[in-house]
Amino acid sequence: MRVDPTLRQALGDGNGFDASSCLNCGSCTALCPLGLELFPRKLFRYALLGARDKLVENTDTVYSCLLCKMCEENCPAGVHITDNVRALRVYLGREVFHLGPRGV
Amino acid sequence: MTEGTPPRTEPTSPTAAPIPPAAAAGPTPPERRRVGVFICQCGGNISDFVDTEKVRQEVSKDPSVVTAEVHMFACSDAGQQCIVKAIQDKQLDGIVVASCSPKLHTTTFRNAAQRAGLNPYEYTQANIREQCSWAHTHDREAATEKALTIAEAAVAHTVGSRPLERLRTETTPHALVLGAGVAGLRAALALSDMGISVHLVERAATAGGQVARWARLFPNDRSGPELVARLLEEVRTRQNVVLFTGAEIVAKDGHIGDFSVQVRTADGSVVPLRVGAIVVTTGYEPYTPAPGEYGYGTEGVVTLPEFEELLGGGDGPLTYHGRPVRTVSYVYCVGSRADPEAGTGRTYCSRYCCSATSYAAVRVHARDPAVRQYHLFRDVRTYGKYETLYERSLKGGSLYLHFTEEAPPTVTKEDGHLLVRVRDLLTGGETVEIPSDLVVLVTGMVPRENAHLTEVLKLPIGKEGFYNEIHQKLRPVETVVDGVFVAGTAQGPKNVAESVASALAATSKTAGLLLKGYVDLEPLVARVDADACTWCGACLAACPYGAVEEVEHGAKHIAHVSPILCKGEGACVPECAAQAIDVEGYTNEQVRSMIDALAEE
Repeated sequence: MRVDPTLRQALGDGNGFDASSCLNCGSCTALCPLGLELFPRKLFRYALLGARDKLVENTDTVYSCLLCKMCEENCPAGVHITDNVRALRVYLGREVFHLGPRGV
Repeated sequence: MTEGTPPRTEPTSPTAAPIPPAAAAGPTPPERRRVGVFICQCGGNISDFVDTEKVRQEVSKDPSVVTAEVHMFACSDAGQQCIVKAIQDKQLDGIVVASCSPKLHTTTFRNAAQRAGLNPYEYTQANIREQCSWAHTHDREAATEKALTIAEAAVAHTVGSRPLERLRTETTPHALVLGAGVAGLRAALALSDMGISVHLVERAATAGGQVARWARLFPNDRSGPELVARLLEEVRTRQNVVLFTGAEIVAKDGHIGDFSVQVRTADGSVVPLRVGAIVVTTGYEPYTPAPGEYGYGTEGVVTLPEFEELLGGGDGPLTYHGRPVRTVSYVYCVGSRADPEAGTGRTYCSRYCCSATSYAAVRVHARDPAVRQYHLFRDVRTYGKYETLYERSLKGGSLYLHFTEEAPPTVTKEDGHLLVRVRDLLTGGETVEIPSDLVVLVTGMVPRENAHLTEVLKLPIGKEGFYNEIHQKLRPVETVVDGVFVAGTAQGPKNVAESVASALAATSKTAGLLLKGYVDLEPLVARVDADACTWCGACLAACPYGAVEEVEHGAKHIAHVSPILCKGEGACVPECAAQAIDVEGYTNEQVRSMIDALAEE
């Protein structure tokens, strides 16, 4: 996998999507009621590194999130996880489903 | 002593308290000694495996033993009071405490003896814990027998003891500081503040050391050159500080409180100096990677200090060789935390590099937020307050990728571009490729090449190659060479704040020594029987401390031992064919009687 900083820009780094303070502790993944291995730590990792293909491959995972905020409430680094998931959905909506720039 | 130098006359009044002639030494056998034995249970550490009551009964049978007592904790206040009381009530003239290792409580019980009016050197500690109860937990009977034997040998040692006085020597209120980096400069100023005059000797042509090379220092953006300039300016205002640059120490003689050193100055002349103490702040060398190590030698691959020079104190977008820098990759722990099997000795963490790199990333981001920064780390050790630097670098968009020692990253050049590959544990061990404009090898600290200085000062070196302190926690700036202190990065990796803290610790130890005006030393030193000595020179050859010299004594030449230089090591004793040398506290007679006691069935 080759890093691609343009993905962070496309996701609206610092505005829409922002996981820069993530410490990779994995609390979010451990707490996720859906028990998805990829979720959300590794997904964000792909986004930060710029692994566009990996994100697209995991479109279903991104959309399966319940936005319950269990992870966000417990994130030690204060990452706005659900905002990030929404930003990923906006991006995938555009890239995969060819929706308008603001989603549906 | 070199050939052709006439031996000096035997000193009539040595610098230290006179040592009584050998003939008058030794115990006075006609009178029976009055020895007290105190057996410690160490709260079960000893008594769980040794029958202390049986030891007490058996040791009481020794005709020299007047009293024997068992205590729960001999070292406790209550235990010490019992010892003091027994010495006074029973008029004891020697004691034995059978307890732990003498390393722990020799001073404790010497002080207790002194409080009771007994000479502290008429006390012997018998180690029946480390060398008995802890080692023989499986066999109570044998352990008890061994404890008794050890105690009896200690009684024999005390019976052979005699009162000794500590040796006093005067100190010279001048200090020598070696190395004028930030630690040395700060040490010189602190000593000067306390009224101690300082000779500050720097080997390089200019003062300032490594700090002078760092345009910005974490955590508060101080400029290294400015920091050094401020210290130097202050040094120049001091009447009692003399700075030598381009100079080196070439010889050292004398002893704690009064060293004679020779300094070769920049113009080649040799200046003799007299100092009471020496502070070694000779600093470190940045690690230089081997050619090809993580691509070192390739254009665009630089070390952390080289990157620091590039970064400087400037602002605006970063360029390298005229080209804009868009992506920087940092490879951490280069030259540090090496596998012990590799035999480089660089198994240690260099402490400052993680924080310095996070700090560099923060500055890069401030200059140009568009620069992408990838940190390839083994562990991030931005300890204490420096953790905020790590957080700031994260917020600035730095990405951290975690690799292991077994799978280090690779740096190659493909189609004229640098490419870094790393197996990132934080992405489930996937291999990540990072095309980079600049690769920064985060290099640590290595010991300076100082073989000559080490030889002149006889300083001990640890397995990492830095100068060793006596005790990492409790005696962090003292060395085994009395009167020689070590501080700053000469001792091991430190950041600027830590270097200065240790330099100030060394100055307080130096001042504690020099401002008192004298120093008291252990009297457990070698003495020569002038009548028996026939001067063969064997003791001189055996002594590692240079404490022996040849002197005239009436019509013949004999050996003279400087009680201040002698460490009581005893290397000379078995070399002496005439058996003319004894070490106080461990005389031949004492050792023989101990062996007899140990061998007795």
